[in-house]
Amino acid sequence: MSAIRDFIGLVGDGVKANQTLWLLVFGFALFPIFTHFADLPFWNDVAMRIMLLGMAAMGLNLVLGYGGMVSFGHAAFIGIGAYCVGISQFYGISNGWAHLGFSIVPCGLAGLVIGYLALRTSGIYFIMITLAFAQMLFFLFVSLEAYGGDDGMSIDRGEFGFIDLYDPLRLYFLIWCALALVSLALMFIVRSRFGVTLRAIKSNESRIEAMGLSPLRFKMVGYVISAVICGIAGTLFASWQEYVSPDIMHWTRSGELMIIIILGGLATLAGPLLGAIVFLLLEESLPMLLGAVAPAYAENWMIIFGPLLIMVVLFGRGGLTGIIDRLSGTRGNADHKAGPR
Amino acid sequence: MTLTLILEQAFNGLQAGVTLFLVAAGLTLILGIMDVVFLAHGAQVMIGAYAAAAIAAATGNFYIGLLLAVPVTFASGYLLEFLLIRHLYRRDHMEQVLATFGLILFFNELIRIGFGPAALYSDLPPSLSGFVEILPGTPYPVYRLGVILVGLACAIAIHMFVSRTRIGAMVRAGANNPAMTAALGINIKLLLRFIFAAGACFAGVAGMMLGPITAVQPGMGEPLLILSLVVIIIGGIGSVRGAFIAAIIVGLVDTLGRVFLPAMLRLVVDQATADGAGPAVASMLVYILMAVVLIFRPTGLFPAKG
Amino acid sequence: MSRAVLELQGLNKSFGALHATRDLSFCVNAGEIHALIGPNGAGKTTLIQQIYGALKPDTGHVLLNGKDITSLPVPGRVRAGIGRSFQISNVLMDFTVLENGIIAEQARLGQSFRFLRPAFDDPDLIVGARKILARVGLDDRADQRVGDLAHGERRMLELALALATAPQLLLLDEPMAGAGPEESQRMSQIIETLRGKLAILLIEHDMDAVFRLADRITVLVEGAVIASGTADEISNSAAVQTAYLGSE
Repeated sequence: MSAIRDFIGLVGDGVKANQTLWLLVFGFALFPIFTHFADLPFWNDVAMRIMLLGMAAMGLNLVLGYGGMVSFGHAAFIGIGAYCVGISQFYGISNGWAHLGFSIVPCGLAGLVIGYLALRTSGIYFIMITLAFAQMLFFLFVSLEAYGGDDGMSIDRGEFGFIDLYDPLRLYFLIWCALALVSLALMFIVRSRFGVTLRAIKSNESRIEAMGLSPLRFKMVGYVISAVICGIAGTLFASWQEYVSPDIMHWTRSGELMIIIILGGLATLAGPLLGAIVFLLLEESLPMLLGAVAPAYAENWMIIFGPLLIMVVLFGRGGLTGIIDRLSGTRGNADHKAGPR
Repeated sequence: MTLTLILEQAFNGLQAGVTLFLVAAGLTLILGIMDVVFLAHGAQVMIGAYAAAAIAAATGNFYIGLLLAVPVTFASGYLLEFLLIRHLYRRDHMEQVLATFGLILFFNELIRIGFGPAALYSDLPPSLSGFVEILPGTPYPVYRLGVILVGLACAIAIHMFVSRTRIGAMVRAGANNPAMTAALGINIKLLLRFIFAAGACFAGVAGMMLGPITAVQPGMGEPLLILSLVVIIIGGIGSVRGAFIAAIIVGLVDTLGRVFLPAMLRLVVDQATADGAGPAVASMLVYILMAVVLIFRPTGLFPAKG
Repeated sequence: MSRAVLELQGLNKSFGALHATRDLSFCVNAGEIHALIGPNGAGKTTLIQQIYGALKPDTGHVLLNGKDITSLPVPGRVRAGIGRSFQISNVLMDFTVLENGIIAEQARLGQSFRFLRPAFDDPDLIVGARKILARVGLDDRADQRVGDLAHGERRMLELALALATAPQLLLLDEPMAGAGPEESQRMSQIIETLRGKLAILLIEHDMDAVFRLADRITVLVEGAVIASGTADEISNSAAVQTAYLGSE
């Protein structure tokens, strides 16, 4: 009993230290009520995409923001997770839990292998190598004609027993549960001895060596965890979209994940989720805006988005969470002060 | 599997290799000397291709298209460095990735607005559309041979420049030790701008020459970008010599692999497996090669630093 | 008879044409403060790197308490008992002083692979970290961000972290570097408190400090040992005089 009370206490501490994150998570839980009364069910779909994208970005942020490893290949893990659903259905497995289980192992393995090969390098090498491996997997799936190749394969939503995923609300809450669990897990990981060591490696790797620890081991564990989280996001995404194609792991998707993280704020738990919200809202609204102002060019909204990114890099500091912190005058997010509260 | 086929594909591999080299040469210097992850290098290829195609269409002369497109791409690289890239030198890699990613989106969209999303196909002038016998009984397209020759000429020119001229020496010094080079008082800003513009120029040349062979369309540069990143990883960041050797290897492995691997697999495993796995493995061959190189030489075959 | 904690056997290291370490052999005994001095470019840092594991010698062996550690990487050597304070402060700048101590403490306890409890809130780790900091008098600066510390305080933290792993051999790489007279005095006092408790290999240019602290001194010139002995022996050695005055 006391162990459970202890755990709840830990959760409570964590929530207090990461208010923005949990505000957002609970916001997502309440969102369907709003869309029900406002009769805007389409926005539930958008919210689901945001949650999934945010989840994947949170996974990447573990290694990128907290661990300082600029991995440009994480879309590959989303893709593996998604294809695991398609491929298991191809062989007659329709159980959703099995899909999840199946995607965790290949993603973990891929994370291990790619991590091992890439993490012995750093800097520009690391970025390029992770990008190259992601491309390799992209081409692999393009060439696998049996699983749809370039055209992809359509997917039925997995059977999760009592949870009928064809009911949009149930799908929504399944995704929400995954988001909440991933948030919880990351919250613990980032503040734990492991997480703190990972963050220290980003700060000064040679100091960590001088403490008798092998940085590579920590980086690899972090990398595998982030790969698995992306894989879970991919699995659910495939179910939501009812379709999977190699495009899901095109290298530009990895770029999108990084955009989201930087938009929201590196090395914060809430950042990726915030970034996902802004990113997808921009993606929805820019074409509409452009359509109102210059209808002929509505499809070319990227021409605004591109320079927008450049502006964010040149002039934005700390992303959205940085702005929020400055506006609210607090440091509501990443843990900085040690000692009893 | 005749000698003709092998020879033809080998030459195709060579052609792919020199094209890759033209793209990789500039990129390896940008990565090695300026430490900037310049993802929009593929856009330079695209700019070159469109410039050549547009000028050729306007003047009706393919050669003039090529000739005039060269200064256009040089200028675009020069301007880009001056307006944006030099602000990225002090930023960390992630921010560079983001900014150059934004550039890709911008350029692709710009081209799409200016020329439409459909692919352009350029016609070859009659003087270049024929075949030539590289060996008795082995005809090979004149144009592709021309690409190989131009590529090799560029490689030799770059080599001469880097190893024989003063500016070349500065470039080598910059690749080997950027901080020291700056400390020596060399006008590093102008040097960097020049290197960047030259890199853009060569990438543009690759694009121009590719025009008649592949489609000229928005985003055509990105696959080349990724492949040249692989080339640079194998060759070693900052090393033009490494880029050349690696580019030829990658070009040959990729081309020959795609053509012959499925057939070779059939010798080892049964037909069904070979036909299923063949194309898949062939498409990954270059990356498998990269992984193997990385296991034994994490910094590439000819790293420029140290 | 003192036993050797560190024993170097015939170390050689060349960088191309530069023979940085020439057939180098000497010992550091338990409990002694052993200074390594020599003109600039003598190869002191190269030698420290080879003892520490950041550089591999071309030939030769490094033995710690009789065990050959030449093929061990840095973390392995640290776990075997080597501690190092760096010439340029190598601390965790993005964390507070206490957090630095906590990370060192959990590393020492081998607990770094735990995922549940917040590390920075853990009372046991905090107590252990404060002990580490108290050793160098940084206990009252615990909540300061390291980036905001004064130079001397950062050197103290550097030393504290080096001691945190409870090493048997401490490599002190120019601990007084960039320190004013007051800071040097403090640093000397702290090193003095360590005398007899562990073996120390001290690289230092501050000759006053060297002759005050060192039990034995080894003089390195152009990668080779030209003299090794007590402070008196060294200060009276003609070879050493020539080496220092001659290479000015």
